[in-house]
Amino acid sequence: MPASGADVLLTLEKVCKSFGGLMAVNYVSLSVRKGELRALIGPNGAGKTTLLNLISGIHTATAGRILFKGEDITLLSPDRISHRGISRTFQITSLFSGLTVYENIWAAAQSRKRFFNPLARPERWADVREKTEEMLELTGLAGKAGTVCSELSYGDQRILEMGIALSTDPELLLLDEPTAGLSTQESMTLVRRMRAMLRGQTIVLVEHDMGVVMELSDMLTVLHYGEVLVEGTPAEIMANDEVRRVYLGT
Amino acid sequence: MASNLAVAVLNGIVWGMIMALIALGLNLIFGLLHIINMAHGALYMLGAVFSWYVIELTGNYWLALIVAPLGVGLVGLALERGILRTIEDQPVVTIICTFGIMLVLQQLVLTYFGGTACRIALPIPWRIPLFDLQYPVMRIVIAAISAAVMGTLWLFLNRTRYGLWMRAVVQDREMAVALGIPVHKVYMWTFVLGSVLAAFSGVLAAPIVCVDFMMGREILIMAFIIVIVGGMGNLWGSVVTAVMISLIHGVGSIFVVPSTATVFSLGFMILVLLVRPQGLFGE
Amino acid sequence: MLLDKWKGAAFPLAFGFLMAVLAAVPFFVDLFYQTFLTEILVWSLFAISFDLIFGYVGLLSFGQALFFGLGGYAVAIPVLKLGLGTGSGLLLSVAVPAAFAAFVGFFSVRLTGIHFVIITIIFALIGSTVGETWTSLTGGADGLVFMAPPLDLGVAKLDLMDIRTTYYLVLAIVALSYLFLRRMVRSPLGKVFVAIRENEERARLIGYDVRRYKLLAFVIAGGLSGLAGGLYSLSLKYASATFLHWSVSGHAVVYTIVGGAGTLVGPMLGAGLIMSLEHYLVKLLQATDLVVGAVLISTLLLAPMGIVGFLLGRRK
Repeated sequence: MPASGADVLLTLEKVCKSFGGLMAVNYVSLSVRKGELRALIGPNGAGKTTLLNLISGIHTATAGRILFKGEDITLLSPDRISHRGISRTFQITSLFSGLTVYENIWAAAQSRKRFFNPLARPERWADVREKTEEMLELTGLAGKAGTVCSELSYGDQRILEMGIALSTDPELLLLDEPTAGLSTQESMTLVRRMRAMLRGQTIVLVEHDMGVVMELSDMLTVLHYGEVLVEGTPAEIMANDEVRRVYLGT
Repeated sequence: MASNLAVAVLNGIVWGMIMALIALGLNLIFGLLHIINMAHGALYMLGAVFSWYVIELTGNYWLALIVAPLGVGLVGLALERGILRTIEDQPVVTIICTFGIMLVLQQLVLTYFGGTACRIALPIPWRIPLFDLQYPVMRIVIAAISAAVMGTLWLFLNRTRYGLWMRAVVQDREMAVALGIPVHKVYMWTFVLGSVLAAFSGVLAAPIVCVDFMMGREILIMAFIIVIVGGMGNLWGSVVTAVMISLIHGVGSIFVVPSTATVFSLGFMILVLLVRPQGLFGE
Repeated sequence: MLLDKWKGAAFPLAFGFLMAVLAAVPFFVDLFYQTFLTEILVWSLFAISFDLIFGYVGLLSFGQALFFGLGGYAVAIPVLKLGLGTGSGLLLSVAVPAAFAAFVGFFSVRLTGIHFVIITIIFALIGSTVGETWTSLTGGADGLVFMAPPLDLGVAKLDLMDIRTTYYLVLAIVALSYLFLRRMVRSPLGKVFVAIRENEERARLIGYDVRRYKLLAFVIAGGLSGLAGGLYSLSLKYASATFLHWSVSGHAVVYTIVGGAGTLVGPMLGAGLIMSLEHYLVKLLQATDLVVGAVLISTLLLAPMGIVGFLLGRRK
């Protein structure tokens, strides 16, 4: 049910993606409003991560259009898309593993600059330093700023992953299974910390943990075999028989 | 003219068959262990050098054809167990390490074999008439032997248990481990096999080119090019590409200066790398 | 507070001390060792230019010899055949290889992993094949011998036939290059390089045009490799196509790995150590590369972070 109007941030119009003979995404259309938290759910292989890849530019759609703030971003490279205001996290943690927490966030915080002076001292860039320190506080990792991130606990790494994504000041945040690999307890902690970090960004969330989905989302889109099965509020989806069938496989 | 062309074509095929063996060894090592073996040319050189020693001692080329590759196989075994095993999972480290091994092998040969190139007398000195020239039978024999080795390799890969294990590990390493295949042993024997193939090439090449401690250096890059253009993991691709490239280079050299032919074939390689990095025959 | 001040002073003090020592060297050693030290400095420069792309950006190129050899010819040919001055030659030894690096890099940075290694070798091989056969221009493997006219700096004229003067010139240029690279790797640009090395895809997703930065690093490295080659041919009064061969790149690789990749100081230390080792060993055995290869292998197996990396507590 595509929404119209100036408050729509992201639109997918009949987006398709095929890999060889496999249709991973099959004529998916959806719209996300500004400030909304949209969850993408569905069984494994439904195309959720592929959709995130398409939006963030890692893959290019074989057909259809992706519009962000009214502009066509379908064919843009990932770095251009980042500069438009879209950020993404990964299901399998993707950090600058040999660098410290501070350096990881700095790398993202400085990315909005236009020119990287090869002879400048980075300490002189007060604005980037402030943003880095702010994000360190926000993520709660300030005490571990000097730690190489391969030595962080898994939960901290997931937080850092989000911290990096947020340091580019995105308007749209794509979260790919942020609670992947965490126990229920740890997931709850993560969600709490996440909530503290978010400032009303628009979010598209791919998640398997239904508790997290129900607690956080405004709207759900259910995917099945690369197609949109149904969309609705959490309550509507919970009551939907078709969804139950798809998930329980009856 | 026709005779020149015929000779060039035959030489191209013969040399292509020799290069195919080297490329097959390199391809196996890369396909299975994901090791970029920069010492591969040195192993080829070692095969030629070992064969020279065997011939010096016994005068028998056919004996060298058996003993030399086995000897180099032992060297390969030592290298894999002693050095490469610990770093096999780090591609950048292995490239540089095998470069170091190349240096060591080259210099060992320089020290004990000497810096001057040596020729091996043709064990079969007959020639057959080809248009108005005489073509050495030995070269045809060499191509035939190479084909025989390739055939044996095919049989090994497709008809023996070890060959099956090797193919399984290439397909899916974790599954192979789960099935109880001794993966580390497979790695080891694959490297040995690759070394043996390189050495075979060396022994076959020895009567044609000069045996010299540097002979592996130019061959190495050609081998890499063949493997990449043919498609890494695609053994037939390597054979076809090896013959193709040797033919193009050989026939091309009739019309242009060899170095120009070299530059053009190198340029062609760059094009393939950029346009179709999985190789002409790769997926 | 005092500690921070001391920390800030640590590098200038160490650097100043080292420069003082190196400047004093010609008063204490004979001409042979001055020449030798000049050579070490030249290869150190080649090594740190390789460290930039390998240690800091993560690109393994075995083709840097192309730019080193080109740098040598960029000095030799204009001086010998066009009557240009040494100063112009040196400038060309940066500009010409950098231009070639832009061309080679434009195509090469599209590839990664082994494909990148191979394509850099192929470009170098094309260069050395052309260099060895175009003998009218390059003198082939025999090379070109030339006289280096005095370097006119305005305030003074440096006689480059004098070994000591050449030593000081090379020392000054290499020191400046090191300071330039050191500043660069600590700068915001340097942080982009390192991010690319650590996780290329992540770097792309936070907004860096990775290809462009790889190309930039490649061009800078090419220019500095060329400068090293130019200084080398100036000190030898000789340029040869053999320096274009891809295996010459191996020197930079060995010095960098043994000294410690990604440290800048490491490769320079590696160059000094290995070249000194070769110098002392050559009396014992002709095949010094044997020891070099063995040292390389041992380093990779036991301490892949290199000497300086080890001292810094890294684990690579």
